[in-house]
Amino acid sequence: MDQYPDENEEFELQYQDEMELLEDMPHEYDAVDNGPSTSRQAAALLEQQQQKAGGAANLSVAGLKDVSRFSNSTLNSPQLSQITFGASQSEAAGVGPVSRRLFGTPRGPTVGRGCSTPMQRMSAIEEVLTPTADKTAPLLNAAAEQLQELGLRGSNKRRLERDLFGDIDDLYHESYEDPMLKKARTEEQRDNEAIERILELRRKMRESSKTVRQDEVSRLRALHDFKMKNLSYEIPTWPFLALQRSDLERLYVRFHSEDYERRQLELLSARDNITGSLLGEAKQQIWQEANELVLRRMAPPTQLVNPEPAVPTVDLGCLWVDKYKPRKYIDLLSDEMTNRSLLYWLKMWDKVVFGKVFHSKQEQQAANVGAPAGQQLNSFNKRTGKFESNGGWRQRKARLALNTNVDELGRPMQKVALLSGPPGLGKTTLAHTIARHAGYNVREINASDDRSPEAFKLALENGTQMSSVLNEDKRPNCIILDEIDGAPRQSIEYLVKFVSDGIFSKVKSKGAKAEHNVLRRPIICICNDIYDPALRPLRQIAFVVNFPPIDAARLAERLLQIAHKEHLKTDFGALISLAEKTGNDVRSCISSMQFFNAQKHCLTLQDVLNNNLGQKDRHQGLFDVWGAIFRIQRPKKQLQQSSSNNAEETAQVTMTNMSVATRVRNVLDVVHSSGDYERLTQGVYENYLQQKMPDPNFTGICEALQWFCFADTLQHQISRQQNYSIYPYLQYGFVVWHLLFATLAWPKIAFPTRGFEFNQKSTNQRNIFQALRKGVTTSAQGVGQGSILLLDTVPLLKRILSPQLRSVAVQLLSQKEQYDLRHTIQVLVDLGLNFVQVKSAEGHYVFQTEPDLDTLCGFPGFPGLTLPYFSRQLIAREVDLERIRRAAPKGASSDGTKSAATAASAPGPKQKAVATRLPNHLQTLKPKQISDFNAPPKQQLTKDFFGRVTHKTTATAAAEEVKTDAIVKSPIWYRYKEGFNNAVRKDVHLNELL
Amino acid sequence: MALWVDKYRPRELSKLDYHKDQAENLRNLCKQSDFPHLMFYGPSGAGKKTRIMCLLREMYGPGVERLRNETMNFTTPSNRKIDIMTVGSNYHLEVNPSDAGMYDRTVVIDLIKQVAQTHQIDINGQREFKVIVISEGDELTKDAQHALRRTMEKYVATCRIILSVNSTSRIIPAIRSRCLGIRVPAPNETEMTAVLQNTCKREGLVLPPELAKRVIEKSDRNLRRALLMLEASKVQQYPFTANQQIAELDWQVYLRETASQIVSEQTPAKLEKIRDRLYELLSQGVPPNLIFRGLVEQLVNNCDMSIKAKTLEYATQYEHRMQNGAKHIFHLEAFVAQFMNIYKKFLAELVMTDDF
Repeated sequence: MDQYPDENEEFELQYQDEMELLEDMPHEYDAVDNGPSTSRQAAALLEQQQQKAGGAANLSVAGLKDVSRFSNSTLNSPQLSQITFGASQSEAAGVGPVSRRLFGTPRGPTVGRGCSTPMQRMSAIEEVLTPTADKTAPLLNAAAEQLQELGLRGSNKRRLERDLFGDIDDLYHESYEDPMLKKARTEEQRDNEAIERILELRRKMRESSKTVRQDEVSRLRALHDFKMKNLSYEIPTWPFLALQRSDLERLYVRFHSEDYERRQLELLSARDNITGSLLGEAKQQIWQEANELVLRRMAPPTQLVNPEPAVPTVDLGCLWVDKYKPRKYIDLLSDEMTNRSLLYWLKMWDKVVFGKVFHSKQEQQAANVGAPAGQQLNSFNKRTGKFESNGGWRQRKARLALNTNVDELGRPMQKVALLSGPPGLGKTTLAHTIARHAGYNVREINASDDRSPEAFKLALENGTQMSSVLNEDKRPNCIILDEIDGAPRQSIEYLVKFVSDGIFSKVKSKGAKAEHNVLRRPIICICNDIYDPALRPLRQIAFVVNFPPIDAARLAERLLQIAHKEHLKTDFGALISLAEKTGNDVRSCISSMQFFNAQKHCLTLQDVLNNNLGQKDRHQGLFDVWGAIFRIQRPKKQLQQSSSNNAEETAQVTMTNMSVATRVRNVLDVVHSSGDYERLTQGVYENYLQQKMPDPNFTGICEALQWFCFADTLQHQISRQQNYSIYPYLQYGFVVWHLLFATLAWPKIAFPTRGFEFNQKSTNQRNIFQALRKGVTTSAQGVGQGSILLLDTVPLLKRILSPQLRSVAVQLLSQKEQYDLRHTIQVLVDLGLNFVQVKSAEGHYVFQTEPDLDTLCGFPGFPGLTLPYFSRQLIAREVDLERIRRAAPKGASSDGTKSAATAASAPGPKQKAVATRLPNHLQTLKPKQISDFNAPPKQQLTKDFFGRVTHKTTATAAAEEVKTDAIVKSPIWYRYKEGFNNAVRKDVHLNELL
Repeated sequence: MALWVDKYRPRELSKLDYHKDQAENLRNLCKQSDFPHLMFYGPSGAGKKTRIMCLLREMYGPGVERLRNETMNFTTPSNRKIDIMTVGSNYHLEVNPSDAGMYDRTVVIDLIKQVAQTHQIDINGQREFKVIVISEGDELTKDAQHALRRTMEKYVATCRIILSVNSTSRIIPAIRSRCLGIRVPAPNETEMTAVLQNTCKREGLVLPPELAKRVIEKSDRNLRRALLMLEASKVQQYPFTANQQIAELDWQVYLRETASQIVSEQTPAKLEKIRDRLYELLSQGVPPNLIFRGLVEQLVNNCDMSIKAKTLEYATQYEHRMQNGAKHIFHLEAFVAQFMNIYKKFLAELVMTDDF
């Protein structure tokens, strides 16, 4: 039960700052700090010490003003009275009991002491006064608390300024003065101001309490006035009687008329009637009441709740959840360690936000012990969430204090706190309460707000760099990002950048310009699922606070309090079972209670067990579900409802019977709440064979597999026909598997990856196969399509494509090898395959087919293509050539090869062929040639002047003919093209280059 | 045309090696001006596709052999893009809708309908209709088949459909009744020997008859497989010897080893190893029904007479269930476990009776 603060701790928490002030001048408790040996002793010492500290704290505040007026707070505790300081001790005895909180109850001189009223009378009045003040404690408490809070918040100048003006100038001045210097300078001044502040508040409080004593004071004043009017030392103007006192002083007493005398007497008697009630037996009554009050406060809180004199309020407008929401830090129900670590983190911001030096006691300690600084740095990150085991708050605080590991601006290293935990534990409440407690103005951004990256950016910048002008309360902002796991990924990335960016830009621009986007306000994020993939970047930089579930007993206690206040008849057992049923969800519990209250004003165990109220689908991890399937839960104590006679249903504590029925119900519950049947089935499938079971004849396995088949059939039908009406049947398979394979031992469960790998591999194979299919040319249709190609052709193809070739040049291969090579190349080209060079995983280069035949239809232990590297290389080149050859136009290739082949044997026809197949651009020359063909007889008949036939021209003609032939025959031609340099051209076929 | 399968494939009906009277019937069919939708059915490697191509050539002339590959894109109603490879000439189009998997209905609706709707431009062509060849027609889903039946009737004027299927049992009756079924049985041993010998002669090789016989045995009377095996054997070792090693299909060997492992040991650990092997087979794209068949054949061969019937019974039961499911591995493993169960019981009984 050390999770929540006992009264002392709570007290300490409230006066933390004063204590820290005090610890700067520690006297006797240092010894106590250092070594409590046993835990009990430690607790006792702790208590003592804290009480001392409490007293001292009071002293430190009150003592600043007036030590002698202080001590009435320390009355009731004998321990406290032991240590009260001498000056106050004498007075302490005489003053009535007052709540400890009411330290320094002012008894200031509201009345002038110059009057002649006897002192005895005055003290009597005062005696009455004090209990009266006590009676009006609630009223005074408010003021007192205000004072405390102020004291707690610390009281320096900066803070005051901010309180008054909402100063945010720290955002614009990037550099800070050395806090130590500043501290030295303003220490005294600050103290004085603190004193003034406290005085001011005291005055306020006094004024508020003044109303109570109004008539008392006026009575005294009236008395005084009366005396002033009726007595005189000189000779008065009114009629008088002269009297002589024992010290021979002359007094003149006024004479009044009888009428006046009577009136005055009436007045006085009336006043006596009013004041008379304050004296005598009325006073005794008040005294008693006060004593009772004090006694009640001393009693443990659980008993305190019972006689709560609350009026049965039937305010239907208010939900209990809101009504009993924690308003103050001490009301918080969550794990104390969590609360404190978060508060501590928030306090680390004080330096930046409030300019207050964050006190860290450990600095001195570390100096004393000589602890290495590196250790201090490490400890911050480690301490998330693992506090439960290590002793009391004192020790833990010491550990926790090791980590004031701040950056150059004095901010904590982790700029963001990330609260995580299941719903209904009060994360949001905690964040709000702590932020308010630490003096921040809370700005919440939750899932209902627009959280697109732009809006997010705007909200963040507004929240951290500006302050509300309209708001009365000029406090710095603290941003709470609620339900952040639902935010878009970009927003979270922006947040991460926003948080970490400031540091970099700060480092870069050291001097001149004020960097505007340095984060100077704490940000608290809240999420349910910390392992949300979107949160990964945030998780790394954030201060992660895991929210442990609330203790059921502690929750039930709080519920009991509420029940008493609301006059709901219930008992502790019912509440505990309610808490257990809801999985310790506070919200859900309170709502259920309100429901029962509205229904019948009572809540019994029966109700809790019978109703489905408050139950929720708790998200369980896959491994939990698999664990539940493969493991028989050991019997444990449980509240259970036994329906012995069908009418008589009673609730009782029993051992959970591990009957088949219970187990079946458990498994069904778990599986049903998880829901993802397909994944679950796969998990069971891949793990069931590893479970230890005596099953020599495979009957169990056979049965299990029948159910797997059944589940598969159902799944298939559901997905095919969208027929979800058969969906519920899926879960019964898990029951069978549970009954068959579950053991008491903790099962080893591996995450099912086989199915996923299988899917990946088949997809991969399919893609390769598709690539292969696309490559198959039309001339190889006989290899089949689809599965035939895959199953019949591919495996045999590997053999066909693995001829035995020696590693020699192509020319040196034997005839058979040449034939094989040609054949292989042809096949490869037909199927659109080739060898390509790939870098293997080991780093050397290998030739493999593209698409990869080896992976296709390749089983472990079977050889793929057995060609050596050299052959592959050779084939790869030949395949490329072959492909080009095939790609060349049919006519040209036949012309090229055939003409080459026939060139030697028949040059004549070839020439003719060439002549007839003139290139296009020379076609224009043709008509001349044709005319030439007709011409020769004419030409040959040309005669010279004398009519003789001349043969001279034939030679030139032949020469010309040859010349034109050469031009015509030549594959080179020229065409004038203005401005181009590619005018000279030649036809080249690819096969000439090969 | 480098592989023997392609190189020595008959291109005309008159040149077919076997089922010659059937070839004659087909030629007569083409002589008439019209012919109905056809459905060629028979085991794989029997020569269905060869006959279809011969028939088309008979009808349209050698222009049919000028093939071209085309890839067509479709968008399914669920906005998924699928590619379908088609092979076609001016006169026909060959598709394999099973490429589209479960979206084959889209293919039928879009592609086939579109082709069927367009008229032949070349009136001089012999026929006024085009032909759509659907290979692996029995892989068509029921939806696709239903989409096809109306198309077949409606556009009968412009298009004929030739289905090539392994078994008519998976074709819905509506389509079966619309088609003229032509059975192409697997060639018998003598026919196959003739084909193999013929091929070797044309290649200039000498094939010992014993080797031919062994190849035929290994190939399950699948002519394509037989030719490929022969070619592979030739590459491995040419002057053929009668008892040289014949290249086998890797997956068959793997499956056989799996079956023998099942018989050798029956423990959960073994079952898990078997599961890995089954996963391997499935991921390599071996259809689960082939795995089933291979397993059953091997197991039945290796077990005692008394449990053979039981094994077969369970095999049918689990294979039937597998058709209704999607995760084949469950059903395969269930069968394996069931066999282990029977086998162990059988062994136990054997020990008992021996004791007596």
